[in-house]
Amino acid sequence: MDDIYLVTVVSNIGMISFIALSAYLLLVVGEISFGQQAFFAVSAYGSGIATAMWGWPIWLGLLWGALLAGAAALVVAIPTVRLRGLYFSVATLAFAEMVRLIFEIFTYQVEIDGELVGPDGSDGFRDIRAIYDSNVSAFEYMLIIYGLLAVVLIGFLILERSRLGAIFRMIGEDPMLTEMQGLNVTVYKILAVVMAGVVAGIGGALYAHLATYVEPKIFNVMLGVHALAYGLIGGLGTAFGPLIGVAIDIGLLESIRAISGYRMIVFGGLVALLLIVRPRGLLDEAAVHWLRGRWRELRRATH
Amino acid sequence: MLEIDGIAASYGNIQALRGVTLSVEEGGITCLLGPNGAGKTTLMMTIAGILKPRRGTISFLDRNITGMRPSGVVRRGIALVPENRLVFPHMNVHENLIAGAYLRLGKSKAQVRQDVDHVFARFPRLQERTKQLAGTLSGGEQQMLAVARALMARPRLLMMDEPSLGLAPLVVEEIFRIIRDLHADGTTIFLVEQNAHMALQVAHHFYLLEQGQVSFSGKPGQLSEHEVIQRAYLGKQQGRDQSATDRDQPDGTMLRSG
Repeated sequence: MDDIYLVTVVSNIGMISFIALSAYLLLVVGEISFGQQAFFAVSAYGSGIATAMWGWPIWLGLLWGALLAGAAALVVAIPTVRLRGLYFSVATLAFAEMVRLIFEIFTYQVEIDGELVGPDGSDGFRDIRAIYDSNVSAFEYMLIIYGLLAVVLIGFLILERSRLGAIFRMIGEDPMLTEMQGLNVTVYKILAVVMAGVVAGIGGALYAHLATYVEPKIFNVMLGVHALAYGLIGGLGTAFGPLIGVAIDIGLLESIRAISGYRMIVFGGLVALLLIVRPRGLLDEAAVHWLRGRWRELRRATH
Repeated sequence: MLEIDGIAASYGNIQALRGVTLSVEEGGITCLLGPNGAGKTTLMMTIAGILKPRRGTISFLDRNITGMRPSGVVRRGIALVPENRLVFPHMNVHENLIAGAYLRLGKSKAQVRQDVDHVFARFPRLQERTKQLAGTLSGGEQQMLAVARALMARPRLLMMDEPSLGLAPLVVEEIFRIIRDLHADGTTIFLVEQNAHMALQVAHHFYLLEQGQVSFSGKPGQLSEHEVIQRAYLGKQQGRDQSATDRDQPDGTMLRSG
């Protein structure tokens, strides 16, 4: 495939989908996080350090980055998960800004082949070249991104049909009523935050290796706000919702050059409009319920 | 079965309960009546572990459950059908029922399935709506679903907070028929009500709660319905002709004059 622009756009949609799914998972349990970019960042740096500086293979670097993001999420979850609503949102935002500012001063470099490699504070972290060094083409890397996205998405779809997924939805609808069913809401919420951290982490690690360069300002609050908005646009009824949100924003608004200058205006307007007309997004619970009903009828009719 | 001793609790700075002592007998229907703001819901929330009492003890089956978290209270066998927040609106009827049985789903799936069938036999109207989103049910159906879900936990004590609130008279009749049925099947029931007329018809024992304190304890008939209604609805001051049981109460009586 030679249309490198198209490959880049499609790869971006894939990578951003991870952070969108991450924010979506927290929306399902009823929490609004403005800080998922922190886990994206932790994994981007962590996996980059592992492959570029320690010479780890890419797959191990990805795994390491995702686990690191999960660990960071656990650190955030334990003190903040008892906070509700606005307080949780502010706490996640504060944490994410803290992480970003730490990367502004974080310097850890080693000399490899006569060149200094590693994070250098606000100058960023260059030469995360693992995929180029191993001759993975942009097209092949896109396939890797979508392979992993498919795995995560299948995981989400299984979760939605599982007991754990149902408990997450119950907590999102009414944590107190959930607790009254004998379930320890705090434990489940910590689990959700950690899972969301890992998912964002996979995206961050993929991003670092495609861009080969990361710097702290990439991981500012706008990344987290967008991640959040994708679920709110696409819908909170199914994991396909946030993916629709990403496709609309990056696929249409950012990538069609004629309108990309107006992206933020259109995007902001879209969020505002949907919050009024469909507060839980295009594919909300009622829409998913309706679709499942039609699907059942269709299957019955054809059998 | 349930012993509440000197419970005091507050909502923020407002003291809602000022030393409530009462007990619920196993196998009976116990009612708690009282006007708005008397602290009935606060008491339910405190028993369920949602609010922490400032003092006093709650024990259930001779075990102290004071200050236990809600999930722990449910595990001990107390299920609360709360006021106004009845169902998970974006989940269907079946999912709502299963939600009440998560604690045992891992151990005995077959038993849970059997319980679903039982509950559907008791509430045929819910069965017709298995796949319907709970938020789209009528008020009465939501109340039934909430009761059905509570039963899915196989509680030893079923607490209901104002089950007739906001329902049409015919639906209220049906809810109380269900309460009688449940009792006939051996469920112990602790009921908070404003509908004194209906409550007195089913209760074996009832308490009046006024301004955060128990002001009467006795059997229906010991106090005229007229007086109960006046006190339960209007928070009217007590008359002079108090029954003997009234004075047996440690903290309820003779607190207000004029």
